[in-house]
Amino acid sequence: MLKSCHCCGLIHQVPSLSHDERAQCTRCDSVIDQPKNRNRSQARTAAAAVAAMALFPAAVLLPILEVEQLGHHHQSGILGGIVELYKTGSILVATVILLFSIVFPLLKILALVELSWLCLMRQRHRTWTYRLMEQIGKWSMMDVMLLALLVMLIKLSGIVQFHFGPALIAFVLCVSMSMISAICFDPHAIWETP
Amino acid sequence: MNASTSGANSTKDSSLPSMEPQEVYPIASVKNLSEVSANFRTRLWWLTLLCVLVSLGLFWYSRQGSGELIAIDFSDSFGLKPEDRLKFHGVEIGAVEKIELNPERNGVVVHVRMAPQTRALASEGARFWIVRPLVSLDSIQGLDTILGAKYLAIDPSPTGGKLATRFQGLDTAPIVPPSEGSLEITLDGDSRGGLESNAPILYRGFRIGRVVQVGFASDAKSVQARCAIDPEYRDLIRRNSKFWNRSGWRLDVGLSGIQLDADTLAQMFTGGIEVATPTEPEKNVGTGHRFKLYDKPDKEWAQWKPSLAHGEALNRIASKMPQPIRLAMRWQERSFGFRKNQQRAGWCLPLDDGRVLCLSEQISAPNSAIPNSIQFELAGLTLNADQLIQPSGPVSPESIASSNTRFSIVESLPADTTRWPVNMVSSKLPDQVCDVFLAHPDAASVLAIDAARLNVRDSAWMIDEMVTIGRDYHGLPVVSAATSQVIGFLSIQKNTRVILAP
Repeated sequence: MLKSCHCCGLIHQVPSLSHDERAQCTRCDSVIDQPKNRNRSQARTAAAAVAAMALFPAAVLLPILEVEQLGHHHQSGILGGIVELYKTGSILVATVILLFSIVFPLLKILALVELSWLCLMRQRHRTWTYRLMEQIGKWSMMDVMLLALLVMLIKLSGIVQFHFGPALIAFVLCVSMSMISAICFDPHAIWETP
Repeated sequence: MNASTSGANSTKDSSLPSMEPQEVYPIASVKNLSEVSANFRTRLWWLTLLCVLVSLGLFWYSRQGSGELIAIDFSDSFGLKPEDRLKFHGVEIGAVEKIELNPERNGVVVHVRMAPQTRALASEGARFWIVRPLVSLDSIQGLDTILGAKYLAIDPSPTGGKLATRFQGLDTAPIVPPSEGSLEITLDGDSRGGLESNAPILYRGFRIGRVVQVGFASDAKSVQARCAIDPEYRDLIRRNSKFWNRSGWRLDVGLSGIQLDADTLAQMFTGGIEVATPTEPEKNVGTGHRFKLYDKPDKEWAQWKPSLAHGEALNRIASKMPQPIRLAMRWQERSFGFRKNQQRAGWCLPLDDGRVLCLSEQISAPNSAIPNSIQFELAGLTLNADQLIQPSGPVSPESIASSNTRFSIVESLPADTTRWPVNMVSSKLPDQVCDVFLAHPDAASVLAIDAARLNVRDSAWMIDEMVTIGRDYHGLPVVSAATSQVIGFLSIQKNTRVILAP
């Protein structure tokens, strides 16, 4: 079987490997194929993606931040915040946030679940799901939201008081789980069923 | 179906070995069932399980935090907004969820979500009001709400009735009722003189209570002020206490210049009442007692300096105050050939080991006494000298040593005598002077002596001349305010008052 090294692009002929062997690039020593890891990675992807999916509703619906300024309280979740943005007329901003921090991440997680699940069950390939995930994954920016929260915390800490809500835990876990899932995912496994 | 099976049967019959199935149909891949489930195997699933639990837990947690909704009717929302807080003693116990007009359009309904732990506070009879800045001539309230958020305050029903979900809110903060145990008295004055409710009642410039309400007497002949003295200061008010109005300020313009007389800024607006108790205080008063409210103080009132036990220390010690009983010694002396009766009276303290503790001079007659004429009166008993036993034997003038106090044993005291535990008697005075009480059996006559009024001299403590002590206090046990032990006895000799070790 011919395979290119994903690092330096050198094309190799990969012999069929037994369970405790792995193929390495002759030029750059990166791992080209490892049958043992292939199955394991699918299971890991599935586990992490399911975990991320379970945390997603909690992260989006529950209150994430409570702001207190001079005794005025305000509490909101991510979805609630977007709704409020719509109400105040910032439709563009609201749409951008809705797309990049809710719709795309959700689609990415769902795609990961589907892909890993199908691989595990040895179903037919769904390359278009993979392509969808590739494209959407670039625009799923849940982690940027965390950064925004951090910036706000530092910039405004003297002026207003923050209390983080239960959703923050879910949010952080969800981001890390979807990252673990994406790292574990090995696209070759889709079409390289042994 | 039948046809095909018959066809298959026929081929099977005719030429089974010649057919090569591999060339026509692909061979179905065979999979071990355990292999499929083995694909799923990874330890990461534990993390998945954990995440699912965390997610469910967070949903449960945020549901848990939200309590029951109650509704409160107000005539105006006074700037209250959703998410403003409901506070009790300054602590948040709920949050405003929604404010809407009531169906009649003549007021608002405030929906408040109560924290579950404090839900019981909103029971029948609880009162709610909106705290907002309120500035008037006599009071400034709610300063914290000028810039900050308004908030709801609650005064729970004192009896704690049934839980309720609908309340009628108050427009202004309710008059704070006097706290439990305070002394409520009525002052009768000729004119109001700028007095307002919540004005302070001052004793030596120190706030000991407040005016609850000011109004006309029922016949409008005088002005009545209902006052509440805080529980810890109620012992400062006696039957012969004098109250006077020192409301507002007094401006004296004279040859020496202008003199403005006002104690505090708040008092300038709210007025105030001062009280003084004479150096020889009478009995305590009960709730409902009436006093006259004077317009001006007498000059001598300022000179009054009674020693009054008050506050926490007294409350703590009151239940454990020793109960001394009267002890009198009578004897006869010869003078010019006549027999003359003499007596010496004081107090003694029965102990729970059957003995009695007192100053030794109270049971030692002078040498001039006629032998066998000495008699003691104690708790309704009349005893001869030989019925009083000392550790060293029966009392006789010779056996009385010069030591100041001494144990003596009485045959039988009445059964209802309160006896003081022996282990609560200290064997000597403490090294440092401390606050003490003179334990009079009548609670109102208990005298407090501050450590500052005591001086150590030799082995005794001298009491400052400023302190007024009646002559009949001779022989009273002295109790330390700190340890509530009996640390000595009071001895009054002409002008010196000393505390002697037991």
